[in-house]
Amino acid sequence: MGRALYFPTAVSADLTSLIAEAERGDRAAADALFTALYEELHRMARRELSKRGAGVTLGATTLLHDAYLDISAREGAAFPDRNRFMAYAARVMRGLIIDYVRSRQAQKRGGLFEMTSIRTDIAAAIPEAADLGRLSDALDELATVDPRLARIVDLKFFCGFSFGDIAGMSGVSERTVQRDWEKARIYLHRVVRDPIPGV
Amino acid sequence: MDSGRWLRVSGHLDRVLDLPPHAREASLVALRTEDPECADEVAALLDEHRRLTDEGFLDSSPIQRDEPSLAGVKVGAYQLVSRIGHGGMGTVWLASRSDGRFEGQAALKLLNAALIGRGGEERFKREGTILARLRHPHIAALVDAGVSSTGQPYLVLEYIDGRHIDRYCDEERLSVDARIRLFLDVQAAVCHAHANLIVHRDLKPSNVLVTRSGQVKLLDFGIAKLIGSDTQSASTMVTNEAGAVMTPKYAAPEQVANGAITTATDVYSLGVLLYELLTGQHPAGEAPKSPSDFARAITEVEPIRLSAAVHNAAAPDAAALASSRGTTPDRLGRLLRGDLETIVNKALKKNPSERYPSVMEFADDLRRYVDHRPITARPDSVSYRTAKFVRRHWRSLAAAAAAVLLLAGVIGFYTSRLAAERDRARLQADRASTLSELLTSLLTGADPYRTPDAKEPTVQNLLDVGAARIARELGGQPEVQAEMFTVIGRVYQRMGLHAKALPLLEQALAIGRRTFGSESVKVAYSLTELGVLQRELGNLAAAEALINEGLAMRRRLLGNVDKDVAVTLVELARVLKDRGRLAEAEAPIREALAIRQQMFGDEHRETATSKSELGLLLWERGDLAGAEPLLRENVATSQRVLGADHPNVAAAKASLAGVLLSKGDAAAAEVLLRESLATRRKVFGEAHVEYATALNSLGNAVEVQGRLEEAQMLFEEALRITRPQLGDEHARVAVMMLNLARVQIARGQGAATEPALRHVLSVREHLLKAGDWRLAQAKSVLGASLLAQGRDAEAEPLMAAAAAGLQPVPGPQGRERLANRARLVTLYEKLGRPLEAATYR
Repeated sequence: MGRALYFPTAVSADLTSLIAEAERGDRAAADALFTALYEELHRMARRELSKRGAGVTLGATTLLHDAYLDISAREGAAFPDRNRFMAYAARVMRGLIIDYVRSRQAQKRGGLFEMTSIRTDIAAAIPEAADLGRLSDALDELATVDPRLARIVDLKFFCGFSFGDIAGMSGVSERTVQRDWEKARIYLHRVVRDPIPGV
Repeated sequence: MDSGRWLRVSGHLDRVLDLPPHAREASLVALRTEDPECADEVAALLDEHRRLTDEGFLDSSPIQRDEPSLAGVKVGAYQLVSRIGHGGMGTVWLASRSDGRFEGQAALKLLNAALIGRGGEERFKREGTILARLRHPHIAALVDAGVSSTGQPYLVLEYIDGRHIDRYCDEERLSVDARIRLFLDVQAAVCHAHANLIVHRDLKPSNVLVTRSGQVKLLDFGIAKLIGSDTQSASTMVTNEAGAVMTPKYAAPEQVANGAITTATDVYSLGVLLYELLTGQHPAGEAPKSPSDFARAITEVEPIRLSAAVHNAAAPDAAALASSRGTTPDRLGRLLRGDLETIVNKALKKNPSERYPSVMEFADDLRRYVDHRPITARPDSVSYRTAKFVRRHWRSLAAAAAAVLLLAGVIGFYTSRLAAERDRARLQADRASTLSELLTSLLTGADPYRTPDAKEPTVQNLLDVGAARIARELGGQPEVQAEMFTVIGRVYQRMGLHAKALPLLEQALAIGRRTFGSESVKVAYSLTELGVLQRELGNLAAAEALINEGLAMRRRLLGNVDKDVAVTLVELARVLKDRGRLAEAEAPIREALAIRQQMFGDEHRETATSKSELGLLLWERGDLAGAEPLLRENVATSQRVLGADHPNVAAAKASLAGVLLSKGDAAAAEVLLRESLATRRKVFGEAHVEYATALNSLGNAVEVQGRLEEAQMLFEEALRITRPQLGDEHARVAVMMLNLARVQIARGQGAATEPALRHVLSVREHLLKAGDWRLAQAKSVLGASLLAQGRDAEAEPLMAAAAAGLQPVPGPQGRERLANRARLVTLYEKLGRPLEAATYR
């Protein structure tokens, strides 16, 4: 695939080895991986939007999908399969979206980057950045208790994957994913307690 | 809530959430009696769930999923109306013709530009035109394929309002027959496309819709290829992209393996689809954990039998499954057994050439089934399955697991049969031997003496699991259990896994003594086998005692002229030799040879082996002239009787080579040793101790001819293989260490050898009797090492002791004796002690 050559990479970190180290439990590597993926996704979002111009949408799912194609082409055969990639990238996407909401709320418009797939039409549905922050903290807590549940929330709520998509990625049935989603909601609701307005 | 508490209630929560909301509270009644605290907790969480559902907690995501901004946008001649689908490939929109030429609706797919790649537009349009010509009542037509002015590739398809075929079948509670008839329509469509040289490549339920009127419509024909690039790997990747998100659930083995994609690929995917429509499950069973597991399952695991799938533990609910097919689980199981199973199996063959040659023939057989006519596909015979099974060499854990299942099935079968038999005692012996025969035949694939290219790691796994099952499940039938332990123990032993064999053979002996009494042929057999193993493990005293006990028992039970008595005599002689009692070893060897000549004649492998044993003994005692003809006869007879590639022939050649080397004919020895090495590599593989031993022997012949660097490499390689398997305390390892050290000293690397040589000496002091020449050999080489380090004073006593212990016996002993004496002469001359120098000259 020639795309990796076409778009010079902004990230020098070798994601393949960062993922390997993170999977071995290396905290520092996990942090570096987060940062590297964050920059990567951010950069790609900007790039796609400037390329396609206004009026064309860029969904989180598509962004992740493109990111995987790009990165795996660049990193070569040793790069983890798509599902392992998504496990990390989904968490990063959550950070990206929260930052976006935060910056947009601070600046009303523009901000970190313009991600047109984020709802602009139904203002009421946009959660407060603070609420999302609390949700994110609760998710991190859930990740220590039952990482699979946390991952489902990242993939569904923050990345927009369907239950079917997630089932395919996790190799379990759609029904199992749905049930886990309900369980995750219960857990998070308990932690966050008072409901996030508008969410 | 801490993680311990959460995980404790988590399982209950799963169960409760699976129920419809109104039934949830009631289901806690049972839990409340056994664990009220937990029940309260679950109830509280359910309450939480009700509240969050009411609030719509997390219902709407901060990112949009319906992209309303695109509605109304024009793409080519179409106007987007609303989004109807979304996948890795892109998004699907309901669209209407904007120029008014065509009334009605179409489905418009906006593809990720990445999927066609740069420069792919022309090909995309060209192939799109070909696909657009494909017209069939059961195929959703491709109306147009193009790239918009903004560079967005898109496809326009006939819009189908329908349900996925699997959902349709379940929701309409179609019977097995009705499902097959619907499936025949799917096949007709695929057939038509194949006739037009178009392969679907991505058949799966979401690509097969059924309309409200019950019409089947296949979507996305050929599109996987259309959006694929020219290279194979990219096209399979895209197939994956086009899938439900990378799970290659419907991919054929050749797709997973990047093989050629043909119409046979669609035959396979149709097989999976039919399997799912009939059983509600995937042929590989419960979804594996990761896509790579799935890929492995597709390429390696045989599908679960159709009828078994119904009762499979993984089945969500056999009753629900059956009821959605308008029947009961038992009836469904019976319905799927036989012809349907055979048909589906044939479509799901891993090897494309074993599948139905075309979808047409697949469909014909199904039609025959529906019409109650005989089908053409034949069920796999037992011998076919077994042959296939053995051919695969348990390459994967999954296959090993299947073998264990088979094993367990065999055991289970006999267990129940035996229990039902009235005359148990009489029948058990028969059954046990049949059983062990069966098992032996199963395991022959793992025995290097039978099939040369067995893959050891997974065979080992198979054996491990098998042994555990035997221990667990056959306690009630000690006779069978003892025999099974022996069989598995022997296979371990032959694989060189001696430590694993030991507990099994020990248990077999203990069970045998309890069950058969103190005096029995089976106990005598166990004694001998265990003795042989102990010898291989280097426990020589234990080995001698066991073998003597076995020998005496066999003599009493079988008489003096008996083939098993001869075997035991040979083993006894080997132990005696290993313990350095060469003189004592000659009598049993000669007795064994006499028995075999009397019973089998000269042209027999066992007679030949006896000659070899005797030859080796004579050689070791210095009688080269006596040894050589015996060993030559052994090579000739073994080759005739066993064939050139048998490991025994390799051993025979190595022995003869040893004698030739002792005689000074190193070049002839080398030829034989290279032949022997080649055979062992072929038969045992390069990780086996026997192969390493051959490397070591070759090293000797090479060393004698002065090619020291080559010899060193051979010894090093031999050690690299043997040390982890036998451990450093093993006599064979000691021999190799000593050989390596000697070459290193000769090459001027003497200083490095001292620790190894001290180790060899201590091992030999432990294993051998005082006075054994090999002790002297170790001292001699250690002396040489110290000498090379300039530590003359320490070297001298060792060398002098060695000189006393080494006799002028041709071979390694004689060679070491000469070398040692030469070193002594040099040393004493250097020290100015000419008298002593003269003694060794």
